[in-house]
Amino acid sequence: MLWYKGWLETRSRFLTCLIVVTGFCAVFIHYTQGYLRPEWRVDFHRLMLVAHQYLVIIWIISVVLLGMGGLVREKANGSSSLTLSLPVSRAHLLGVRVAIGVLEAITLGVVPWGAIFLVSFASGMPIQFQQARFYALLLVSGGLVYFAMAVLVSSLLEGEYTAPAVAFGLVFLTMILFDLWLRDLNLWRFVSGDFYLDRNTYLLSGPFPWKGTVACLAVAALMLIASVKVLEEREF
Amino acid sequence: MRNTPVILTHDLTKSYGTVMAVHGLNLSVEPNRITAFLGQNGAGKSTTIKMLLGMIRPTCGEGTVLGKRIANAEENREMRRKVAYVAENKPLYSYMTVEQTVRFASSFYSDWRADVATKLLSEYRLPNKRKVKSLSKGMRTKLALLLAFARRPELLILDEPSEGLDPVGIEHLLQTLVAQSADGVSIFFSSHQIAEVERVADHVCILDNGRLLVNASLDRLLQSYRRIDLAFRFPPPEQEFRIAGVERIRISGNALSILASMNAEAVVERAHDLNAVSVEVAPVGLRDIFLETVKEN
Amino acid sequence: MFFKLNPTTGQPLYLQLMQQIRHAAETGALQDGEQLPGIRTLAEELVVSPNTVAKAYSELEHEGILELRQGSGAFLTLKRRTRSLTDHVQVARRRLRELIEQLREHGLMDEEIRRAFEAELLYPAEVVRK
Repeated sequence: MLWYKGWLETRSRFLTCLIVVTGFCAVFIHYTQGYLRPEWRVDFHRLMLVAHQYLVIIWIISVVLLGMGGLVREKANGSSSLTLSLPVSRAHLLGVRVAIGVLEAITLGVVPWGAIFLVSFASGMPIQFQQARFYALLLVSGGLVYFAMAVLVSSLLEGEYTAPAVAFGLVFLTMILFDLWLRDLNLWRFVSGDFYLDRNTYLLSGPFPWKGTVACLAVAALMLIASVKVLEEREF
Repeated sequence: MRNTPVILTHDLTKSYGTVMAVHGLNLSVEPNRITAFLGQNGAGKSTTIKMLLGMIRPTCGEGTVLGKRIANAEENREMRRKVAYVAENKPLYSYMTVEQTVRFASSFYSDWRADVATKLLSEYRLPNKRKVKSLSKGMRTKLALLLAFARRPELLILDEPSEGLDPVGIEHLLQTLVAQSADGVSIFFSSHQIAEVERVADHVCILDNGRLLVNASLDRLLQSYRRIDLAFRFPPPEQEFRIAGVERIRISGNALSILASMNAEAVVERAHDLNAVSVEVAPVGLRDIFLETVKEN
Repeated sequence: MFFKLNPTTGQPLYLQLMQQIRHAAETGALQDGEQLPGIRTLAEELVVSPNTVAKAYSELEHEGILELRQGSGAFLTLKRRTRSLTDHVQVARRRLRELIEQLREHGLMDEEIRRAFEAELLYPAEVVRK
């Protein structure tokens, strides 16, 4: 029943974020009403891009929060002795937590884009499914790196506020540092669609960057493996 | 019929920097017994137990529980299936209800007894739908203990189980321990309350400053320890009584008060040989045995 | 049949239980053939380890006062040997009663008498000590 426990632990965070993200979509819907003319197509696409930028910010905040918790936090709360006495390995415990977080993260990425896609039909300016899919995939595949990083931070730091603060700090820091020295590898720009944007149509164009995606997922996986190692070494 | 020790450690040591929390522990806990791990706060009892359960890694030394090596993560996990453990702080998940907690715990163990769980829930008067964070400390303690008592494990490990319980709760706890023992469960519990240990323990291990000072059956201890009060007509020859088994000698005027952990007969014989005018021998309770052992250390 | 065990006296609980059962047998509070509570039942009632009760029963079986029947429980058996033993005990107690009365008349307190007995019982160290 570790899945049930994990759900109980993340339920309120997840639902709050889902409501915020859905609320954001509602705002977007409100704005599209003013762009119903075909000649304003490019502006409509630019609006979609802007929507995505906001979505990226909200989404990253959400998954960093979802990545918090776990055994180290339980130690501070006093329940780690119960969890660790279960006949379950620490890797398994982390695995379930990560799986729940990943599913929740994907949901938080797919639901808004699915909603935007559906609503665009209702408002008479249907966007291509391919566009919605492009945005959503970039967000989730690249963004899971942020989630994995949050999981790693929460496996190292006990504090209820220090862990997320450090995690957000790292997000911010990497965004700036990569932009200064390794622009082409800046995850934020990957996730927000910056690398694939056609500045004439304001659509994401070109083939889907599978290599970039795989690279991101590999980095995320490495961080999760590191988290397992950290937990296995740690004393409770 | 199993007769291998349920807990066996060899030179188990845990140090934090220069502080030795546990020092060269050679523990051997027999099955089908109630073994008490007695020691003051900070003696190293919880650290030892956590090492046994894989939560803390020993600095050196090794141990097995139910034949499985404690330092091997896989074997330790296998062993935990058959061990019920309640930590000192009676851990629970504050966001779960009583019902959810019980369901959660039961899902991990094949030795779970639902009938016992139901019985204990009503005996302890635990409200099913109430969240753990809204329970009183006593109720939380009882729920945490229930998670172990509703099972029939091979080994039950309890760290300071009576802490947080009122006298009625303590009585019920001891009754449950006795019932579990009668069911064939080996019990290893740590405590600093002499009263509970005196009543139900078959075997006593006394830990002080990380060292195991006493490891004996309680009956054997009570039958060997003696207080011998001697009176002489002259200043007593104290050095004559520094023989094997004598733990402590106190002098007051012409009187000697000797605490012997064994060999009391030899002391009495010596006293007669030295013309003591009065020889009184009295048994020693566990409290005094403990205090003396710890003071000596 | 009510037993009262006191853990703080320093005397092992199983010995206390044995004494009390023997006393009950001698005075007739427990009759020949009567069944004693099962080990588990008695342990739960007295809140002591089942091993304590088991040890007491086992030792009493050695002495011939109890018979442990597999599956049925513990039964009091005052066999011929133990009946005469009981007689011996009764005679011994009469003598002790007289002696104790004398010692009391001499001004000894009960506590002093008890401790003197303890001391004398220990000396000389006999091989009976197990």
